[in-house]
Amino acid sequence: MKILATIYKELLLLIRDPGGMALIFIMPLALVIVMALVQDAPFRDYQEIQLEVLFVDQDADSLSAKVKEAFEASPNVNLITKTDTAEAKKLVQAGEFKAAIIIPEHASETLRRKTRQLISTVFSNFGLPADRTDSAVLPVIELKIFFDPAIKANYQQTLSNAIEKIIANVQTSWVLDELQNQLSEGNAEAQKTDFDLSQIIHVSQRYASENKYQGLMLNSVQHNVPAWTMFAMFFILYPLAGNFIKEREEGSMLRLRLISGSQLPVIAGKFAFYFIVCLTQFLMMIAVGIFVMPHLGLSKLVLGGNAVLIFLTASCVAMAATGYGVLIAVYFRTAHQALSFGSVSVVILSAIGGVWVPVYVMPEILQTLSRFSPMSWGLESFNDLFLRQASIHTILPNVLRLLGFALVTVSASVIIHHSRTVV
Amino acid sequence: MSNSVVHLEHLTKQYIKSSKPAVSNVTLEIPEGAVFGLLGPNGAGKSTTVMLLCGLMRPDSGSVSVMGLNVLEHGAVLRKQIGVAPQEIALFPSLTAFENLFYFGRMYGLGADFIREQIKKYLKVFGLTEKAKKPVHTFSGGMKKRLNLIAALLHQPKLVILDEPTTGVDVQTRNMILDFLRELKGQGTTIIYSSHILEEAERICSHLGIIDEGRLIIAGTQSSVMEKHPDCQNLEQLFLKLTGKNIRD
Repeated sequence: MKILATIYKELLLLIRDPGGMALIFIMPLALVIVMALVQDAPFRDYQEIQLEVLFVDQDADSLSAKVKEAFEASPNVNLITKTDTAEAKKLVQAGEFKAAIIIPEHASETLRRKTRQLISTVFSNFGLPADRTDSAVLPVIELKIFFDPAIKANYQQTLSNAIEKIIANVQTSWVLDELQNQLSEGNAEAQKTDFDLSQIIHVSQRYASENKYQGLMLNSVQHNVPAWTMFAMFFILYPLAGNFIKEREEGSMLRLRLISGSQLPVIAGKFAFYFIVCLTQFLMMIAVGIFVMPHLGLSKLVLGGNAVLIFLTASCVAMAATGYGVLIAVYFRTAHQALSFGSVSVVILSAIGGVWVPVYVMPEILQTLSRFSPMSWGLESFNDLFLRQASIHTILPNVLRLLGFALVTVSASVIIHHSRTVV
Repeated sequence: MSNSVVHLEHLTKQYIKSSKPAVSNVTLEIPEGAVFGLLGPNGAGKSTTVMLLCGLMRPDSGSVSVMGLNVLEHGAVLRKQIGVAPQEIALFPSLTAFENLFYFGRMYGLGADFIREQIKKYLKVFGLTEKAKKPVHTFSGGMKKRLNLIAALLHQPKLVILDEPTTGVDVQTRNMILDFLRELKGQGTTIIYSSHILEEAERICSHLGIIDEGRLIIAGTQSSVMEKHPDCQNLEQLFLKLTGKNIRD
């Protein structure tokens, strides 16, 4: 009865506090949308980004044609042809383009001749008739790629790998071709075969997820929605501690002590109310991920298939967040101290907990520290449920950590409060 | 005294960081139905005495019993019989008068219908019926004081403790509160009344106790206290005689 009365009283106080309502509901929604939009590009890797790349074709032969053809077939590269190497370099240097590929003069011809010489040498070494007409020492073919100094390392790596792969394919194909040419020398009836090298070996890439969740990976929405939801839930300490200390300073807390002696019903009522608020925040943020994000050009949030486990995890995060808020409210004597320490600590816990950027991109020391952040426990559990369709056994350790955190903070609050009020 | 509602026996309390006791060896009895004026300068030990009386503090020595029961052992039961109106306006400013009173009624463990009846009755007594649905932050100081008092009366306590109930209110409100206290006394309720306004205490208190530096200097019926100092024309003179003219902070 007393707990229900306190929950109702807290509800009335909150709905009559537009600032508090905005802080609890509007700000987190704005935050999650802005952060998802801001982090959308960094989350996309090379496969999702279209890079504008300059292409200077001084070769104008089969090798450059093959490179051009391969890149034009890629949805991630937009080749823009230029004729002048110096101009291309200048444009990249100015940051107008991410890279410029320069195919030098006679690259195809030199590659053909080098291939022929190579096969001839091999035939000759094995005592087979070989074409020894071309014995000139040919220079190394030097393809150049100019990169914008500000290009992300993974884009640079991916572009280089793509070119090396294209050239390796061309080279292999031409080796086979030359091999057939030299073997069929003097045999008019011999038929050349066009080999499709892609049919020999194929690398198949799949995510280790259930079939219906194939293609689902950590993107801006999948990261930011649960991450900032937890941030918002932990930020509940702001109104919670603010109201608690205000009531203490204004004397209504003393009246409640005079009424019932114990403040347990008051603290329990506050805990229950803010727990419900946290869960409401969670539902709202998830709804934004599902229904609003797609309208902003972002991916739709995918929850995985286990609503019960998601609710369990959200409840444990809500308990941990509320427990932390109560501890801050009880421990600090002034609102200024509580709110300053509380908000900075939530920002730190969120940073090391992987809210701002995923834990795996952090330095090792922060990755170690992140194991002690309740937000990391929550985020890891949500990732397990949303992306990996994890079972209760997988998320149980983190769920228990969150519950333990809630228990420790609430117990500490009760002990501190008791020690200060019973003199 | 067999009909005493409050009995303090050699009560002493010293705060950890303080060099002097806040309450020192206080022995006092307040009879049933009395209006007891607990008087003293700032920092004399009045608030500590009230906290000890309500069982919110543990004395270093001595004992407190209310209605024959030790407050530390029977605090939960006794608090239902005690109504305290603190000096601060201990209300929620954004809640209406009704919502504040209903919440405090619930915290006393009262039933919804009974609380509604009590709220209706007291809002009428204190002229706040029309303000029932207005948020408290829109109230004047006097209205807040009246509401603060109602919150201490909802559960029909047998002992009411009022800390400066008329400070900062206009003459009309003061008059209304004092009239009500007389009416409450008439119903047999025991009242402990702490105030700096000695003229008011003189008007309504049947018994007086003057406390200074934690020690109870004098206590008894108003007439017996005054008779002990025939050179004092009124309570203010007596108060200054016993506590001195030095300013206390």
